[in-house]
Amino acid sequence: MNASFRRIDWIARITFLEAVRQRFFAFLLVLGVAMVLSSVSFRVFDFGHGELKFIADFGFGGMFFFGSVLAVVMTAQLFFSEIDNKTALTLLAKPLSRWEFLFGKFAGAWAMLGVFVFVLAGLLGLVLWSRETELLALAEQTGRIPATFSLSGLAWYALLQWLRLGVVIAVVLSISALARTFLFAVVVGSLAVVAGQLQWIAQDAVLKPTDSPLYEAFLWLTTRLLPNLQQFNLGDALVLGSAGVPAGATGEVVLSGLLYVAAYLALGAVVFRRREI
Amino acid sequence: MRRHLRWIAPAVLLLAAGTCAEISWRAVRPAIPEIGRKELEPTLGQGVLLGVLGGLRTVIADLTWIRSYVLWERKDRPGCETLMRAACALDPHSRYFWENSAYAIGFDMAHWDIRRRGGYDKVPAETQRRLFHAYARKGIALLEDGMGHAKVTTPLLLTAAQLAELKLQDHPLAIAYYRRAAEAPDGPWFAARICAQVMWEAGRQEEAYRWFRDYWTERMRGREDGFPDDLQRLRTMEEALRITPGRRIERQAWER
Repeated sequence: MNASFRRIDWIARITFLEAVRQRFFAFLLVLGVAMVLSSVSFRVFDFGHGELKFIADFGFGGMFFFGSVLAVVMTAQLFFSEIDNKTALTLLAKPLSRWEFLFGKFAGAWAMLGVFVFVLAGLLGLVLWSRETELLALAEQTGRIPATFSLSGLAWYALLQWLRLGVVIAVVLSISALARTFLFAVVVGSLAVVAGQLQWIAQDAVLKPTDSPLYEAFLWLTTRLLPNLQQFNLGDALVLGSAGVPAGATGEVVLSGLLYVAAYLALGAVVFRRREI
Repeated sequence: MRRHLRWIAPAVLLLAAGTCAEISWRAVRPAIPEIGRKELEPTLGQGVLLGVLGGLRTVIADLTWIRSYVLWERKDRPGCETLMRAACALDPHSRYFWENSAYAIGFDMAHWDIRRRGGYDKVPAETQRRLFHAYARKGIALLEDGMGHAKVTTPLLLTAAQLAELKLQDHPLAIAYYRRAAEAPDGPWFAARICAQVMWEAGRQEEAYRWFRDYWTERMRGREDGFPDDLQRLRTMEEALRITPGRRIERQAWER
């Protein structure tokens, strides 16, 4: 077991280094950082929201949008570069099983997205804190209730986003294990992300009573096959306290996220086992 | 057989993940009120989809609002109403969208509709009255929806009161809204005076005096300059109701 972990760790390190050296990663990281920093300048275009909410929304948007693009494109690229360059053949000729290769790829890509998410979250926290300090001083002068944000909430939100991207990576890897081309994996992976973001529609529908058992079975199957990615978008509630999140609910979200990761990785490993390289 | 057994682990894990997600979704669903609102459905093809998927909802709500204003200038009623409702749905915690959408729907759109039907000279008075009432009711319904979501609700109560008073001419309803606004912790000073005035004009003079007197005694007398204009209004009421000097509000040291 230890030897297996060592091999996964080895693949993960190489994948991580390969990923962070790519221009695409740097480009999207710079775009995300620019988006968070520019939110302070754009706040003049805001209508009636809390200022902190407007700034936070830029950060949430950056993490969601660029993070999703990075998770889909980079994962597929990291996987197919090994296949297309035939390095996968050399690697798998050594005492390295296919599932270890796949898990190593996952760990490397997830670590790269961890850097992306936590850099953006750290920067967002800094921007929010600096604006909150200014607003607190202003509120003291005018006697108004100051706007505040929760730093621990932001940390939780970053963790949830990282987990959401982990689920996306696992889905894209299981698609890549089946796909013949990079383009197919990217297109189907992107569609899977959109479907995952909209999966809650089926989840909501399944809770309502219906007369058709066929429809009910379809909804049930959909909610089991597709991951619910919307449940990770608790930014407003966690960071700005717009709504209460019940105690233990975040833990349940984390648990379901981890189970999705394990399920899609297991699925990818089974599919990849029979794939011709 | 062994080949098929390999699929069992992912299937069981997917089943467990799906079941766990169903439980967690039930718990966190109320914390994401922006999604699943019917108001967003007609606008999904107009750039709102990204906001529904996640992130950037505030920014997209702002852009949607700007676009609704372009349609407001063109007096495009269906387009304007759809986009304004979409902005409310994208950011339901913002008071601004609810309040201004209700103003546009309740005060402006009946006029646009009358002009579209040929103008004030051609449309019968009864139809005009019906249109004003219909749009005012729509505006109040939107405000009621907003009160369930927005963090600050007092301005929404005041807007609803204005619509009930000016457009519906439903004084009991207007009084109820003004009263709620005045009695709210952040109720503005003028809400109580208007509430008493509407009560007075609706023929509920005794009640208006009693309520306004209690309100002034509890919430106004000890604050700032004691609100002399409001006391003056109370004195006028005492005169009109012929209240005996012994039962009137005692004379204030600063009173002229």
